[in-house]
Amino acid sequence: MLDRESTFAVPETVRLLQSKFIPVALDQAYQRRQKDTEGDFYRKIASQGPRNNFNGTTQGFYIADAAGRLLLYNNNRDPQKLLRLIKKSLTDFGENPPQGILPIEPEKLDPRWNVSPPEGGLVLRVRAKILDGYKETKNEFQNIFQCAVSRDNLWVTKEEHEKIGQGEFPAKLAQRIARFHLVDNTRGEPPMWDSTDIRELKIEITDKGEIRGEVNLLNRKADRGYEAKLQGKFEVKNGKVVAMELVCLGDFFGEGRYTKGAPEGKFPLAITFKLADGTDIADRVPPQGSRGWLNGYLQ
Amino acid sequence: MRYSLSAFLTLLTVLAWGSQPSLAQDLSASKCQALLSELDADKNALWRSIPWKTNLLAAQKSAVETSKPIFIWAMDGHPLGCT
Repeated sequence: MLDRESTFAVPETVRLLQSKFIPVALDQAYQRRQKDTEGDFYRKIASQGPRNNFNGTTQGFYIADAAGRLLLYNNNRDPQKLLRLIKKSLTDFGENPPQGILPIEPEKLDPRWNVSPPEGGLVLRVRAKILDGYKETKNEFQNIFQCAVSRDNLWVTKEEHEKIGQGEFPAKLAQRIARFHLVDNTRGEPPMWDSTDIRELKIEITDKGEIRGEVNLLNRKADRGYEAKLQGKFEVKNGKVVAMELVCLGDFFGEGRYTKGAPEGKFPLAITFKLADGTDIADRVPPQGSRGWLNGYLQ
Repeated sequence: MRYSLSAFLTLLTVLAWGSQPSLAQDLSASKCQALLSELDADKNALWRSIPWKTNLLAAQKSAVETSKPIFIWAMDGHPLGCT
């Protein structure tokens, strides 16, 4: 979120990335673990930087050539500093471009870290925003977090898709929404909910064909909770869901290890779900809650 | 004893949590539409104009074909997705 609103909001940086580079966006938790060709190439590049212990995060910006030679590692959030480093890397690349390099053929594909949306299923774009409760700040980065709208994807299986088409909201889907998507991910990677954190959960399709629900989540330590209502609608044509919208609105409290800085006490958190049309490259990004265990996410 | 105390504290929190008035507004149909619109993506955001790839080998192939360097945005959580 921070980078989208600061680093990549600098027009000159964007122009350089559009015209002089091949830009790629990764959740490095995948590539640093992948036992396959892509993972090998990522680790070759990252191992030349300071974050070369692949049991921990390798987060940052990297610039490399097609041979895998690292030209830059930077994890500084100063947009102007990154712009200067990008320009320097471009000069370094021009002075010593790789010779005789061929495209790397993907010989191995690690199935655990290469997942696709369920065939015949649905992808819904999930967004969350804290509507109120923050103290005023003059800090530019804090302000970005306070106004942030997060993004994740909800995956729906073929069987669940069919059930919705028949006017039934699947219980497993309701559980998945509650555990992995009713989270405050507006400041970073959020803790998900355990199944025992679900104190109340009801999502159903009414006689009028509307989606209605209520949820009450509270973790075991009772230092994080969300009590909310859900409302939505969908449209079915020839047994297939062609439109779907769902809104969850309620009171959240608490924060996680990587989501520090939540408003004090209870605060209103809105979460929206909208059927993806596949036009956004992010529509194919796996749900955060499925990372490394898709079957657990879908169960 | 430790479990009993923990259960008691949880109960207190649940009771306190439930007794506070809700800060969120009612979820009417018009409120739903307003939130869907408010939380929708800004299609004109500058970072969206960057032609991001999501596979490093695809990026390497393009880098070979165009003689350009690769810029990798590697985050905890997918930069285009999570958070």
